[in-house]
Amino acid sequence: MSHKTPKIVSNLKDIWTVFAIEVRRVFSDSTVLLIFFIAPILYPLLFCGIYHNENVEDMSIAVVDESPSAYSKRFIHKLDATPELSINYRCHNLAEAQTLMKDHKVRSVFYFPKDFPSRLAEMRTGRIVVFSDMSSFYYYKAALTGGNSVLIDEMHTIELQRYEQSGLDNEQANIQMQPVVMENTTLFNPTGGYGSFFLPILLVLVLHQTIFLGICILTGDARENRKALIFIPRHLRRRSVHRVTLGRAICYLLIYVPLTILDLWFVPRWFNLPQLGNLYTILIFALPFLLATIFFGMTVANLVVRQKISPMLCFIFFSLVLFMLTGMVWPQQSMPTFWRLFSYLFPSTPGVQGFVKIASMGAPLSEVRHEYLTLWIQAATYFSLATLITLVRNLLRQRRNIILHRIRTRLEQRGANINAIEPLLERKVGKA
Amino acid sequence: MKSSIKQVLLRELMRIRRHPRYVIILTLGIVFTFTFFATMTRNGQPQKLPIAVVDMDGSYLSRRICHEIQATSGVSVQAVYNNHNEARRAMQRGEIYAFYEIPKGTYNDLLQFRSPHFVLYVNSAYMLAGTLSYKQLATMGMLATGAVQREVYRKKGFNEQQIMGLIQPVEYDTRTIGNPWINYGNYLMTTLIPAVIAFIAVMHTAYLISRERQEKTLRKWIHTARGNTLYALLGKLLPYTLWYTLLLLLTNLIMFGFMGFPLEGSWLLMVLNSVLLIVAAQCAGSFIACSIPDAPLAMSISALYSAVSFSLSGFSFPVDSMPAIFYTVSWIYPIRHYFLNFSNIAIFGNGMGHCWPQFCALLAFGFLLIGGAFMLRWHYRLEERKAAQTAPTPNNVKN
Repeated sequence: MSHKTPKIVSNLKDIWTVFAIEVRRVFSDSTVLLIFFIAPILYPLLFCGIYHNENVEDMSIAVVDESPSAYSKRFIHKLDATPELSINYRCHNLAEAQTLMKDHKVRSVFYFPKDFPSRLAEMRTGRIVVFSDMSSFYYYKAALTGGNSVLIDEMHTIELQRYEQSGLDNEQANIQMQPVVMENTTLFNPTGGYGSFFLPILLVLVLHQTIFLGICILTGDARENRKALIFIPRHLRRRSVHRVTLGRAICYLLIYVPLTILDLWFVPRWFNLPQLGNLYTILIFALPFLLATIFFGMTVANLVVRQKISPMLCFIFFSLVLFMLTGMVWPQQSMPTFWRLFSYLFPSTPGVQGFVKIASMGAPLSEVRHEYLTLWIQAATYFSLATLITLVRNLLRQRRNIILHRIRTRLEQRGANINAIEPLLERKVGKA
Repeated sequence: MKSSIKQVLLRELMRIRRHPRYVIILTLGIVFTFTFFATMTRNGQPQKLPIAVVDMDGSYLSRRICHEIQATSGVSVQAVYNNHNEARRAMQRGEIYAFYEIPKGTYNDLLQFRSPHFVLYVNSAYMLAGTLSYKQLATMGMLATGAVQREVYRKKGFNEQQIMGLIQPVEYDTRTIGNPWINYGNYLMTTLIPAVIAFIAVMHTAYLISRERQEKTLRKWIHTARGNTLYALLGKLLPYTLWYTLLLLLTNLIMFGFMGFPLEGSWLLMVLNSVLLIVAAQCAGSFIACSIPDAPLAMSISALYSAVSFSLSGFSFPVDSMPAIFYTVSWIYPIRHYFLNFSNIAIFGNGMGHCWPQFCALLAFGFLLIGGAFMLRWHYRLEERKAAQTAPTPNNVKN
């Protein structure tokens, strides 16, 4: 009878069997539960907390004014009034300010040299020296942003005075001052905040890394405990290994759909991150991303993972490289060609790119076509690879068992003590 | 005391000889990460960022502006569009990081002394690319405006100095301490690479201890140290301390030596800082692994703990600008103290007078090792008792 059941039904039945086994394995393993459920919920919340303040505000600075004048006083007042900077120290000389900087009491020093007022009075360019602590770029950025807004404002005031002094009326002066008006519009992350930039990337990376790691741990567990080579049910041993890959993948996919909705849809809303895309677009985009990540995880796991606990040792620090490879920090166009191609090995690259475009820049699916297609291609490739590796391993294992069996029977015929030889045999022929 | 540490040390060396896999993989991992960041950021700053111009004017002037933008090193004009929507879509696709919009009638406006408006759109969802292209284009715009002004003043008979005074009455002279070329490789690598090595040191320590539990060789290990868990830990971790310290010093030597990143202060302090970082990281890892008896759980807890270390070191976004609680939390990460000292030594050239609090903090991680040893002793005694309860079989005796 059984050979008469339609192929599709038997296919589905097998997939269901594998799926059921995998679900049971996931929910009976506390480590996997921690990676699959706690990490994707805990990390987004934790990092949203860490980067809650988007920019450096009221950074402590010192000013050194060597010859106080009306100009410098006004300048200093304005500096203090910017949201970025706060003048905590006024020093008499540069050495004093530099000591403060060495003690980390101030992150930046604005130094008005002795000739500052005289140069301004002579209608020459007055120079202000800015010292900035480069241990974090955000100190530099705060000094620059705060300082520049004051500089532009002051320049206009002084320029206007000078034009009047050189005999131009107000209107003429305005035209002279700005023959071309420059307007700046910052799109998509108007405050230039670190959180709005970093967190969307992190959200996708957390999903990517937890799926990957979870699968590696499950595979390591199976291999370590000799659970019949990634537990292929007996009747599936010979062919149709793709059913095993699919059955497992569906299990992970179903677990991760709600988590994706939580991380990519609710978390950005709760924490006021940029979220211009709608849920539908995000879900449609997330589907190939999740599949590609799952199959990628299965490929790597089937290929190299041997222990349950080693994936955590070997793979997590790689997140940093993945983060850099996304092209959000270091633009893809400026990467050496090798690394740009290398970055396409990982689903995180198109995943992050696409999600940021959808969420932060409001791109519709048609604008992320490139990423979307890449993800499907990755999913298909890694699916085939994962299946192929399982198949090959399975065949190798069968051959090994046959050889082992032959050796054993031959030894038994000669009357050897099997129990004593067993460990030796294992070392010679290798573990499954 | 000495001999029991030596026994454990010998045992550990034998274990490494038998299974060198993870030491090799992790060393390769460090080498890979280092090479990756070094080659990625070799130019210091991203070059030739793609941008676009929306030329609605189509005049001689607008074409000249395109040419001039093309001539700057940081950006390159990828495309010239005819309308705003096309450019915005290209930006959404991530093909360009910024675009200039030159409205219709610009040239005429300029000829008739009306100020035309240029609009510069910048995509700041890409932090570095957006900021840099903005900086380049804004400077370009300033220079272009200045050029027009200069032409007018020259005809009015002002001399060069006066003209400069009129165009730019005040200017900043920026001195970036510790990174004079604003080199991103310098900024990223000097903290990231030690952070990666510290991360691996924590995880590897946790792995080593957890593995003894998994292989059920915990009692054997502590027997080798004659029951003293502290000696057992010291002997076991010593080879890795030396190895990772060596790697960290080597990477530091390459960064501050061959790659020429500035190191203002003394080498000696930097070496001390590196040694203490590895030791403190190992102490943290051993504490976690010793207190949690379940091996996979111990590993995942160390992973959860370490994954935040990159953020809380404070080199990307300053810790003092985070919510206050994270300022306190950051103290449980050795890399935080390393980073503070790095900033003291390499950037400001400070001496021991500034560094000692962080050195003390790193040394204080030693208490975690002692705490870990106590936890281990407790687990060990439990296991001994369990072993004593079961009847001594030949297998048990062997253990």
